[in-house]
Amino acid sequence: MSAATIATNAAKHPERSIDWGRYTQQLGIIAVLVLLGLVFQFTNPAFLSGSNLIELLRSATLYFMVACPMTLILVAGALDFSAGAVYAIGAVISGTMMVAGVPWPLALLAGVAAGIGIGLCTGALSVYLKLPSLIASLAVFFIVSGVSVVMTNGQDVYGFPEAFTNIGGGNLFGVPNLIYMAVIVGIVFHVLLEQTPFGYNVRAMGGNRAAAAANGIHVQKLDLILFATLGGVTALAGLLGAARLFTASPSAGGTAMTFQVVTAVIIGGTSLFGGIGTITGSALGALLFAAINNGLAIANVNPLYQNIFVGIILAAAVTIDQYRRSRRFKAGRS
Amino acid sequence: MTPTPSLELRGITKRFGHVTALNSVDLTAYMGQVLAVVGDNGAGKSSLIKTISGVYRPDEGTIKVDGNERAFHAPSDAKDAGIATVFQDLALVEVLDVATNLFLGQVPRRGPFVDRRRMERESRAFLDELNVTVANVRTPIGMLSGGQRQIVAIARAMRTGGKVVLLDEPTAALGVRETAQAADMIRRLRDRGNAVICVSHDMSLVLDLADRIQVMRLGRVATVRERAQTSMDEIIGFITGAVTEEPAKGVLR
Repeated sequence: MSAATIATNAAKHPERSIDWGRYTQQLGIIAVLVLLGLVFQFTNPAFLSGSNLIELLRSATLYFMVACPMTLILVAGALDFSAGAVYAIGAVISGTMMVAGVPWPLALLAGVAAGIGIGLCTGALSVYLKLPSLIASLAVFFIVSGVSVVMTNGQDVYGFPEAFTNIGGGNLFGVPNLIYMAVIVGIVFHVLLEQTPFGYNVRAMGGNRAAAAANGIHVQKLDLILFATLGGVTALAGLLGAARLFTASPSAGGTAMTFQVVTAVIIGGTSLFGGIGTITGSALGALLFAAINNGLAIANVNPLYQNIFVGIILAAAVTIDQYRRSRRFKAGRS
Repeated sequence: MTPTPSLELRGITKRFGHVTALNSVDLTAYMGQVLAVVGDNGAGKSSLIKTISGVYRPDEGTIKVDGNERAFHAPSDAKDAGIATVFQDLALVEVLDVATNLFLGQVPRRGPFVDRRRMERESRAFLDELNVTVANVRTPIGMLSGGQRQIVAIARAMRTGGKVVLLDEPTAALGVRETAQAADMIRRLRDRGNAVICVSHDMSLVLDLADRIQVMRLGRVATVRERAQTSMDEIIGFITGAVTEEPAKGVLR
């Protein structure tokens, strides 16, 4: 035998060092960003000023931090809608503790631990009760939001020690600390997804869960780790947000945040059906959100228009992505 | 004296409510041999595969690998015991490339990271050794045809080096040339000293490859025959129930 069966396809796709197909959507977002930049710059020349660009980046950081573990969840073939509620409760728990006199590092750890615990609960509902992750996380969203409101009687919590609020507000070389933190979180998650056996296993599980399990990948354990990670990182992001605003509000985050994070991840090219997705794409998705927000604001456009733009971009991005993917995999579907 | 079987099932029973899918089923597989498992739809072939590969837990009976009794709670347990399964639905990940699929769940590491270069190099060397020409191990599985996917799936079972390789309908949906190539790969598995269990509807493939043929019927073992001592007619007779084993010689080997 010497049948060169697999060569036929490969002839059409010669060996490439970089799979550019994975990045076309990201190049598309960059093009949209540049275009928006030009339009906004035209309407208000302050748009491309250094201080405004830093403000734009800063406004994207907290959502981007949450978008990183959310990307992993989607790549794994799951969804988590609890993020907006976890964002609030971590800060509420830590804030209440700090106001009661607990040292801030301890309070911060407690808030993050609560996020991890909530993530584990979502994961457990999904893994052990076999609830679809969408439903499990929606249930957790409502429960956690409710608990935040009950804990605080719906009132904001404030009066934090300065050492804590400095974390969210400080600068280094004129760039807010939050931006550095977001970059570090982004690099960690990018490496995790692209370079480690963990990331490979997550992608395999999202691409074909049964195949992953049959090949000895512990899919349920991965589920729990992923939901716990999202919970922990989201609570941390909520804490940083509270530190910046000197206030922990039970109404922070919420559905708006959940939807914006998931939307940013999807605009960035991550598939809702698992297996496909990148952190760089999610970063661009978060940036696009921030740019639309910021640009419309400084162009004096009523902020109510923002959602209309986002909806159009989401529909366009996913349409283009589906078309591209169907062309790419057509060869095997004969 | 017979050698210790690589895989030995004794009295395996699996029930689903009132349905008994497997009824006191025995099975033995030896290294360097191909055992074909045949039977009509509903004969219990799928349940048998799922039991051996750790997907189902039997209600009764024992599983021994190299003479040691094992309990499989999950597919990973069967895998750890040295049983590699090539499922009919292939269990490949379409969005991942050939190399990553060959190393699914066992990616080579360098420190905490995936050693991508080594993975691609070993995939390339391994496929070349099998005479399977894959021009690019970075091609996503989703871009391959059904036959190409089957060959990658069998190659993966060969690579993982399980002592026992379980193949579920390895030639279903394959063309003539691809079937020949799959058959060739199964012979290589046998010649390497693997115990091969091949579940198939393809009688000409079974008669061509098998050293022994086990016929399942209605959840029971209808017979086990040496290939040299049986014929297509007799095997088909056992499958349909036209021929039955006389009680006295119920146990072969």
